Amino acid sequence: MTDVVRTGFRPSRVAIYGVLLLAALVYMIPLFIMLVTSFKTPMDIRTGNLMALPADWTTIGWTKAWSEACTGVECNGISGYFWNSFKMTVPAVLISTLLGAFNGYVLSKWKFKGSDLFFGMLLFGCFVPFQVVLLPMAATLGQLGLANTTTGLVLVHVIYGVAFTTLFFRNYYVAIPDALIKAARLDGAGFFTIFFRILLPMSTPIFMVSLIWQFTQIWNDFLFGVVFASGDSQPITVALNNLVNTSTGVKEYNVDMAAAMIAALPTLVVYIVAGKYFIRGLTAGSVKG
Amino acid sequence: MEHIQRRPVRVARAPSRLLDGLQRWLPKLVVAPTFVLIGVGIYGYMLWTGVLSFTSSSFLPVYDFVGFDQYAKLMTNDRWLTASVNLGIFGGLFILSCLLIGVVLAIFLDQKIRQEGAIRTIYLYPMALSMIVTGTVWKWILNPSLGLEKLMHDWGWTSFSFDWLVNSDMAIYTIVMAAVWQASGFVMALFLAGLRGVDSSIIRAARVDGASLPLIYWKIILPSLRPVFFSAVMVLAHIAIKSFDLVMAMTAGGPGYSTDLPAVFMYAHTFTRGQMGLGSASAMLMLGAILALIVPYLYSELREKRHD
Amino acid sequence: MSQLELRSIRKTYPGVAEETLKGIDIDIASGEFLILVGPSGCGKSTLMNTIAGLETITNGSIVLDGKDISTMEPKDRDIAMVFQSYALYPTMSVRENIAFGLKIRGLPKHEIDQEVERVADLLQISQLLNKKPANLSGGQQQRVAMGRALARRPRIYLFDEPLSNLDAKLRVEMRTEIKKLHQRLKTTIVYVTHDQIEAMTLADRIAVLKDGELQQLGTPKEVYDRPENLFVAGFMGSPAMSFVPVTVEQGEGGLEAEVRGNDGRAVKLPVPEFLVDRVGKKVILGIRPEHITQPQDQKNEQTLVAKGEFTIEVTEPTGPDVIALIQLNDTNVHCRIDPEHPVTWGETAELMFDMKKVVFFDPDTEKRIAPH
Repeated sequence: MTDVVRTGFRPSRVAIYGVLLLAALVYMIPLFIMLVTSFKTPMDIRTGNLMALPADWTTIGWTKAWSEACTGVECNGISGYFWNSFKMTVPAVLISTLLGAFNGYVLSKWKFKGSDLFFGMLLFGCFVPFQVVLLPMAATLGQLGLANTTTGLVLVHVIYGVAFTTLFFRNYYVAIPDALIKAARLDGAGFFTIFFRILLPMSTPIFMVSLIWQFTQIWNDFLFGVVFASGDSQPITVALNNLVNTSTGVKEYNVDMAAAMIAALPTLVVYIVAGKYFIRGLTAGSVKG
Repeated sequence: MEHIQRRPVRVARAPSRLLDGLQRWLPKLVVAPTFVLIGVGIYGYMLWTGVLSFTSSSFLPVYDFVGFDQYAKLMTNDRWLTASVNLGIFGGLFILSCLLIGVVLAIFLDQKIRQEGAIRTIYLYPMALSMIVTGTVWKWILNPSLGLEKLMHDWGWTSFSFDWLVNSDMAIYTIVMAAVWQASGFVMALFLAGLRGVDSSIIRAARVDGASLPLIYWKIILPSLRPVFFSAVMVLAHIAIKSFDLVMAMTAGGPGYSTDLPAVFMYAHTFTRGQMGLGSASAMLMLGAILALIVPYLYSELREKRHD
Repeated sequence: MSQLELRSIRKTYPGVAEETLKGIDIDIASGEFLILVGPSGCGKSTLMNTIAGLETITNGSIVLDGKDISTMEPKDRDIAMVFQSYALYPTMSVRENIAFGLKIRGLPKHEIDQEVERVADLLQISQLLNKKPANLSGGQQQRVAMGRALARRPRIYLFDEPLSNLDAKLRVEMRTEIKKLHQRLKTTIVYVTHDQIEAMTLADRIAVLKDGELQQLGTPKEVYDRPENLFVAGFMGSPAMSFVPVTVEQGEGGLEAEVRGNDGRAVKLPVPEFLVDRVGKKVILGIRPEHITQPQDQKNEQTLVAKGEFTIEVTEPTGPDVIALIQLNDTNVHCRIDPEHPVTWGETAELMFDMKKVVFFDPDTEKRIAPH
């Protein structure tokens, strides 16, 4: 499309840039406000306004958020929960990605009777509102002794993430010509050899997409965190919500904002560093509808 | 004439019946764990919740059968009705706004913009944030005393008032604002990709025919992007129906329950208010809403395929 | 080298009503270059896949050197295949691509290296050994694909439309290469193509397929000069053979058939005596462009030669010939005219018909009428 449009006609182009820049401001301002507020003192917040720069830049909001703020009953800041989220996210991302890779491989190159139906099941599973599985899942975790544990959360995220990762890998492998697999079979390669020696080396882009997408989804999750974990095994999203919404004493918005920044940093950093994979994940899942 | 020296055939292993059989089963074995996980974790649990929705369970599951009692209770439950209406308002406004903003931004970005990549990155970063973070930030921005209102006052609009967050009639619209801020970039990305995929020869033909650019967009390009529209609506509707995190962070369903949504209702009744049966029924209705969305969509997709 | 027997191969895909392969019988001798040719959808690629073991057969058997391999896995059949898309492993170097099958079979490293060198020499790709497929041209990728097959020293080589992705000039070059290789190595080859020129130039024998059925199996000369039915006749040869409906008549000097142009001009063509039981009946005359030329003096006294004047409708100069289009009995007929003998479209020209190699078909069975 872009090669057809001439870049002429001044007035309308000014208007276009104007709108785009305005939109960019609208998207950026909340982040700006979040940052700026986090570096203020509570006094500053009360006397100043949202967009004003700090009269005195201070990191007290950050230190409090990290180690002193109250998240419900405890008042040890969110640092512990920050690490909880890592302990939960990393294994869940790795396991769901690996399962997705193998599943995608089978569903694209080793189809069997019923494999399309299985894929349909998975696809539908991407749409299901998790409300319908919360209660039974909680019961099962209890029975397995995994209630309120990080392991339990990992299990939950794997189960409900594998449908997406399988979708990614399956769509990626479908685009790889079947002739490649046929040639390998004739060369004598079997199921696993073909996967490890031929497909896997070609899979770096989709691995990145899956890892980054899963990381973002799992780190940002709140629903599973609040239902299946409480107290020590909470992820940071739950801790953040508790911190912000517990109304003991005076609200310290600088602490709130700092805590929000801390919770947002990992996925933001991932987005800035490897954003293109994130976008591929967004559009890959949706183009199939 | 060079004759090929036939090397004694050395195969990896002698053709073994056992190994060949294993190879045939290997694909199925590999997907079996996922099959079990999904079968139980999604379909099994869905069934279980369905069963519970027909019981009178409160704090603990009780497996009596009370027919459609819980569903009837929902229909007369003020809070559920508010939540459902809210979903309609929120969902409708959310989808429309995201579509409008997303399409406009995509079209503008498609006009050979310098620094397009940087601008796209800015539009999309909110999608990388947790809804809790988004909710927390917007809750602060719209803070009745220290937020937007105070900012406007400090900037000179002294009569400006913005207490929507604590106003039970207007609070739902604050949720819409935050959600649109987060998700409109995603719609933009979808449409930009779609626009880029449009066949440029059709556009060239239109320009040779004398059509102006806005007309080309309106009559030719946007209609050809119908599939993208549907995709976007599907995903946005899905987000809307599942919305839980955002509400919990911004208003926790309040003031009162004026910003309640089905997902919040379900959570509250199942896990804090000890009404499992009612909560399960609400979950099943949410599932119904999603089904009502996907099934026609899939049906129309399949019908179109058969048409070709 | 090995011989391959295809016995009554049948294949039906599940859910599809019609059979894809309807009972194919072909015997391939050791060292033979057999080409499977036919239009898209005729089943030639399916047949090749069943030989390789990449697809199963519903009925029949495949026998290699006396051993039934119909149910064996591809890797156990000792068959190598060169694909239309080359199917080179993109993350491996050329050397690793060629060595892959050997590595799996557990060959010791020095033997693998030896094989790779031998094959690289043979195909003149030694300088490419460390490159990746993405950095090679189409022709180079082709050779690597062949190298991969050659290194395995299989009993049979299968080529699945290997030249279709190359541009015309490269295709002709590679055709010659493949022919030279076959002459040198005398390997048994089964080769699939939809290009009948390729089939004519490369094959020892050609198998023409249509809709899953074998139409004719014979040498290029047999298939060209004595096609067994209308389909084979029309498929082989370019420009294609023209089919003119004529009625056999008893004339003064023998049997003849009249062909009439759109302008009313007609000529009675002499036809062979074996058509005597068809006098008064319609047959289909199959005549190739090279049988209709400008008048050639040395043929003037020959039997089965006739001359007539016809209006030239279109001329297509190809360099070595001029292909002219005329109408005979309301049918488009192509003729080959020497470019030194000028003809102008819209005007009449005198043409000579050489009936010696012309063939006749029964209009109902579409089979060639053979002399008894």
